[in-house]
Amino acid sequence: MTGKDLATTVRLADERYRMFAEKLEDPLAYEGGHSFHFSAKDNLCSVEFQARAGSRILEGYNPPFDATAIKRLKEAGGLLIGKTNMDEFGFGSFGTNSDIGVPLNPFDTTRCCGGSSGGAGAAASVLDGHLSIGVSTGGSISCPASFCGVVGLVPTYGRVSRWGLIDYGNSLDKIGLLASSSDMIARYLPVISGPDALDPTSQVQPPLSIEGDVGSVAIPEEALAGLSDGVRKAFEEAVGRLEGMGVEVRRVAMPELRFALPAYYILATAEASTNLARYCGMRYGDIVEETDLGFNELFSQVRSKDLGNEAKRRILLGTFCRMVGLRDRYYIKALQVRKLVIQAYERQFREVDAVLTPTMPFVAPRLDEVEKMSALEAYHADFLTVPPNLAGLPHISLPCAYIDGLPAGMQLVAPHWEEGRLLSLAARWEREFQYRRPEGGA
Amino acid sequence: MDEEMVRKVARVARLDLTDEEVGRYAAELEDILSAFEVLDEAPAMEDFDPGPVPVEDRLRDDEVKPYPDPERLRREMRAADGWVRGPRLT
Repeated sequence: MTGKDLATTVRLADERYRMFAEKLEDPLAYEGGHSFHFSAKDNLCSVEFQARAGSRILEGYNPPFDATAIKRLKEAGGLLIGKTNMDEFGFGSFGTNSDIGVPLNPFDTTRCCGGSSGGAGAAASVLDGHLSIGVSTGGSISCPASFCGVVGLVPTYGRVSRWGLIDYGNSLDKIGLLASSSDMIARYLPVISGPDALDPTSQVQPPLSIEGDVGSVAIPEEALAGLSDGVRKAFEEAVGRLEGMGVEVRRVAMPELRFALPAYYILATAEASTNLARYCGMRYGDIVEETDLGFNELFSQVRSKDLGNEAKRRILLGTFCRMVGLRDRYYIKALQVRKLVIQAYERQFREVDAVLTPTMPFVAPRLDEVEKMSALEAYHADFLTVPPNLAGLPHISLPCAYIDGLPAGMQLVAPHWEEGRLLSLAARWEREFQYRRPEGGA
Repeated sequence: MDEEMVRKVARVARLDLTDEEVGRYAAELEDILSAFEVLDEAPAMEDFDPGPVPVEDRLRDDEVKPYPDPERLRREMRAADGWVRGPRLT
């Protein structure tokens, strides 16, 4: 495909599925002899585009630097073609909480892409040979991978430098990759991984190797409660296919998983509520030039006007959980639960190579169904993706079924730093199971 | 979480909420916090960490290097005469 053809494809795909927050518009920009093209979620900084993280409060923020992951992909010959749309600051599971518009599912445009890396999922789904950089805090790569029928890999916390990422929850955020098959991810995960002096949490990692395999998996019974009938049936068929590939399957109990969702939402919102304090109309985005208000009044006015509904809800929840007298009950307890959940996984990893569950309890919901969900129902949709994210464990979502034409994923979780074996299994899976592309294409 | 608490938390978080928002967030956050009560059943742990994997400080060499594009940074920060400008308070 020539650069000009690619430019046309990207433009048409964006008109149809609205996956980009911003993209290269000039066809000449595509004519640079690059070896591959990639996009980055809108909460990653790059010099070409605004970084709005899906929020009105960052409108007009033009970063003067590239995030480390973007810089490394450019150095490897990649062309950054755009920034993908997302739920504001990563706050959402359906891609519908963005100030920039809602990306549409390429398999059915009346349905959502998932979130929060919804645009990244759609771009990986419809653009041939495309690599999407996503970010996962509680499931923001696995969820859109499942809904958009692509592979989504979240590496171990700390594997990929977070320099240049607009923080949501510092102890939870992980930069990962989405693509229509695992080979792109196996090729470029090593490029973006590795120590970076600009992110201390990336400094103490063992080398990444794409080897090993998954010879045995544990399926926690807790993960099978609350699934739609279609997902339950499709998942059991996928398990049968894995057994046919020689993977040993054990059914286990992991009762600690029921604590993961509340612990995650407490830590994530506590961290988010402090991270978002910097958005007050003075340093980023639409900077106030003159005011007759005092600082507190000015900050409150700007934040109330420019932050969305979900951002306000999470700021309130996180601020509440950190308040004097409540901190031990919520924040400290959540830290204890994270340790408990890590230990629960470690117990399984003494017996098996990975923990297997469906990725999401249902296929991509229609946009009108998402609108009717209560906040609690929306949070609960993450109950399968949150545990590995809380624990900082590497995980991958692989397409494993098509239910009435809509993709569904399965999620494999490996021990810390062993993401390589997930990609080895993915390559084997892809020889057994044929992924489908959306009929409308790009 | 009752409406009075929502107003108090909003003040701390520098958010001006309408009465409609206060009522809605109070109901939603009450639901959410009720669901979180399951945490009371989780065992307490003496030993826990702030993050999911160990982190240690490794300091880089203290080398003076120019910022990739200082001019652009100054422009973005709306610097004037070597100062970073904040809003004029009148």
